[in-house]
Amino acid sequence: MYGLGVAKGMLTTVKHLVRPPVTVQFPDETRPIPKRARTNLVWFVERCTGCSTCAQACPDGCILVQTQPREDGSFLVERYEIDFRLCMYCALCVEACPYEAIQVGGPYNDVVTDPNQLYRDKPKLIELANDYLQKNDWIYPNGQPAVPQTIHPVDQRQHH
Amino acid sequence: MPHNPDFVPVLDASADTIEADLSQQLLLTRVDAVLTWARRSSLWPVMFGLACCAIEMIATATSRYDIARFGAEVFRASPRQADLMIVAGTVTWKMAVPVRRIYLQMAEPKYVISMGSCSNIGGPFAHGYSVLPGVNNVVPVDVYVPGCPPRPESLLSGLMLLQDVMKKEGLTGKRQRPEPSGDFSKMLPPDDPIRRELESLFPPYLSKDGLPRDPETGALPHDALVGGNS
Repeated sequence: MYGLGVAKGMLTTVKHLVRPPVTVQFPDETRPIPKRARTNLVWFVERCTGCSTCAQACPDGCILVQTQPREDGSFLVERYEIDFRLCMYCALCVEACPYEAIQVGGPYNDVVTDPNQLYRDKPKLIELANDYLQKNDWIYPNGQPAVPQTIHPVDQRQHH
Repeated sequence: MPHNPDFVPVLDASADTIEADLSQQLLLTRVDAVLTWARRSSLWPVMFGLACCAIEMIATATSRYDIARFGAEVFRASPRQADLMIVAGTVTWKMAVPVRRIYLQMAEPKYVISMGSCSNIGGPFAHGYSVLPGVNNVVPVDVYVPGCPPRPESLLSGLMLLQDVMKKEGLTGKRQRPEPSGDFSKMLPPDDPIRRELESLFPPYLSKDGLPRDPETGALPHDALVGGNS
C-alpha cells in the first residue's frame, strides 16, 4: 500500500518523541556499578597476613609489602603501599589474594590535582577501608560481615 | 578577589581593612566572578584522543553522560579555539612532540586534564623505552584522573574539579600547577632527534640544532635559510 513506509518511519519518530531522556545527571544520580566492576582497591589490614601474593601478582608492580616476622610465626605488615598512579585496575591482586584482604569496590572518581596524592601508604589505606566499612554497614565488598571496629591508622599492635 | 603579595597599601595600619574594603567593591568582585563563571562554564576541549582512554572520552560526550551539561561539548578540531586539552591515553615519545606543540598552539587561559594511568605516569609502560613517563614532563597538568581507562563519571568528576580550581584561582590568581622543566637529559640520549625537537619547544625556543633566534624578527635560522618566516 502506498504510504505505508512513510507511516512506519513517522511511527519511529513519534516513538522517539515520547521516549524518556537517557541522560544520567551524574553528580546528583549515578548509574549502578556492577558488583565486580574493577573500581578502586580497598585493603583491609585485619584480613591481611602479609604473604605479598598480591605484590607478586601485580603486573605493574605497584604494590609494596614489607613485613616482619613475629614470635608466633605470623607476619607483621609494616608497610603496605599501593601506587594508584601506576595501577591499571586489572584486579589480578584481588584474584590472587587467598584471604580476600584486598578487594575491589572503592570509589572510582578520586580525581586529584597533585598526582602524589594517588600514592597511598598504609595509614591512608586503613583510613579508606574504615570509610568504606562505615558507609556500607560493616559488610566487605565480597558480602562477608565485618567486625564493627575502627582501626587506628598508625597503631600497629591491634592488628593480627 | 585573590590576595596579591606584591600589593603595598598606602596606610600600613589599616592594610587589612583596605584589602577587605576593595574586595567588597561591586565592580571588582562582580567582573571577576562573572568572567570566571563564563570561563569555567564554556571549557571547550581540543579533539585529541591518543589511545583507549579516548573511547571513554567519546562516551562522556554521548547522551548518556552528556558533557554538554557542563558547557564542554564542543570538541574543537583546532587548538586555537580550545581551552582544555584532555590528554587521553598513552603518550609515546614520538607523540610527545605533537602534544607539546598543540599545547603551545592553544590560547591562554589553557588547561590540561591528564586522563588515565598512562598519561598520569606511564601506567603499565612506565618502565618502557618508548613511552613518556607522565605527561607532566611535557605540559603542565591541572587535574589527574586515575583509571585504566577511567569511567565517564571519573572524567566528569575531573572536569568538575577543574571548574572548582578555576573558581578558586579567579582571573588574576596564580596557577597552582607546576610547569615542566624541559630537561630530558635523564630520559633520552643526547643525540636523540626527538629530544632535540622537544627541547626546541621549551623556552628559550632555540632551533633544533641549538641555534638562537633572530632578536628582531624572532625567526629561526633554519627558517631564514629556507626563506620561510621573513
